Amino acid sequence: MTKINMTVNGRAVSAEAEDRTLLVEFLRSGLNLTGTHVGCDTSQCGACLVHVNGEAVKSCTMLAAEAEGAEVTTIEGMANADGSLSTIQAAFQEHHGLQCGFCTPGMVMSAAALLKDNPKPSEAEVRDYLEGNICRCTGYHNIVKAIMAASGQLDAIAAE
Amino acid sequence: MTYFLPQKLDDALELIQDGSAKLVAGGTDFYPAMQKGQAMGRIVDLSRLGDMQGVTKDGDGWRIGGATTWTELIAAPLPPAFDGLKQAACTIGSVQIQNAATLAGNLCNASPAADGVPALLTLDASVELASVRGRRILPLGEFITGVRQTRIAADEILSAILVPALPDHAVGRFEKLGSRRYLVISITMVAAVIGVGPDGLINFARLAVGACSAVAKRQPALEAALIGQRPQTVEVTPDDLTGLSPITDMRGDAEFRLIAAARQSTRAIQNRERS
Repeated sequence: MTKINMTVNGRAVSAEAEDRTLLVEFLRSGLNLTGTHVGCDTSQCGACLVHVNGEAVKSCTMLAAEAEGAEVTTIEGMANADGSLSTIQAAFQEHHGLQCGFCTPGMVMSAAALLKDNPKPSEAEVRDYLEGNICRCTGYHNIVKAIMAASGQLDAIAAE
Repeated sequence: MTYFLPQKLDDALELIQDGSAKLVAGGTDFYPAMQKGQAMGRIVDLSRLGDMQGVTKDGDGWRIGGATTWTELIAAPLPPAFDGLKQAACTIGSVQIQNAATLAGNLCNASPAADGVPALLTLDASVELASVRGRRILPLGEFITGVRQTRIAADEILSAILVPALPDHAVGRFEKLGSRRYLVISITMVAAVIGVGPDGLINFARLAVGACSAVAKRQPALEAALIGQRPQTVEVTPDDLTGLSPITDMRGDAEFRLIAAARQSTRAIQNRERS
């Protein structure tokens, strides 16, 4: 067992964990932040996507110890300070960017990483960036629509 | 299991000098390969080694720290000869994998389908291997010896990838064939670095084929034959490719792979005219 320290959603956390604990287990079981999902366990589906020091990574192929001292953001940290939905979350709700909802935390985190670097992506850029996130319901169209709306470009997709 | 997170290469080399530790950088190949119940043993994490990260000019050539992630490589200002390596980087896993996975990991994992290898071969890359005993440099083509086999010793770390100077007019290009665009193991791939002179004729050519042999292969005969040709008239056939022994599996049979590699070679060479 090792004491692992990191900042999760702006809060300093410290918990004992076995060295072999994956970051996603640490978040889900250690910190009870179950919004981050485990879909495939092999870094393909992207349901476990979180931000580590601002970069989108898949938390199912990263040990918690690798994130020692890091700033981690999960879906639970995406809402505004007053608890209301962030622009991206609200857009997913408004445009029904989900069906079963399992991939949604990863999709929202991916969208946030994209819009941070590229605030006005084209539809093609959105689809390209979501390469690492799989929606088993195949609800991609509305996910893309939600992200375009969140970037203030709903017109670009409404013109279709 | 014991987990070490050293901050300096020298500290990491001391931790691994008895040869018993496993090395992890991005971890993107390491954890999926673990078997259920398998003991992890002693792990040394190389992702925090500041002196093993980033791309720097090294004399006339370039030095890429082993722990440089593919995302960092894509963002690095590099001459056009590196375009193929950057294109290959963009096809590795997905963006989130590129954010974590490192160049040294791709090389030491030594998959026949490692997307970084053909492009690095066309850049004439060498690897620097560090240990408490000192440092040695091996050409990449000699470093990887077979399927998941390299010449790295148990107490060594692949500290850097060294790329010699390339002519300014040489442009890199990478072609990957997979059953889909991303998150896919390459069926075949081709990397090329081609330079075209003012007369429109090829005067610099390097080409390597990946996923068609245990280790990706440079194509010296084809490279020599390309000199003096006009890129848009080049048509590579499977007979022009040497040293390949593609496997037949559910992704494609051997004959298909050779045809695909020849087409990709043609495309990689011809595309030089457009850019």
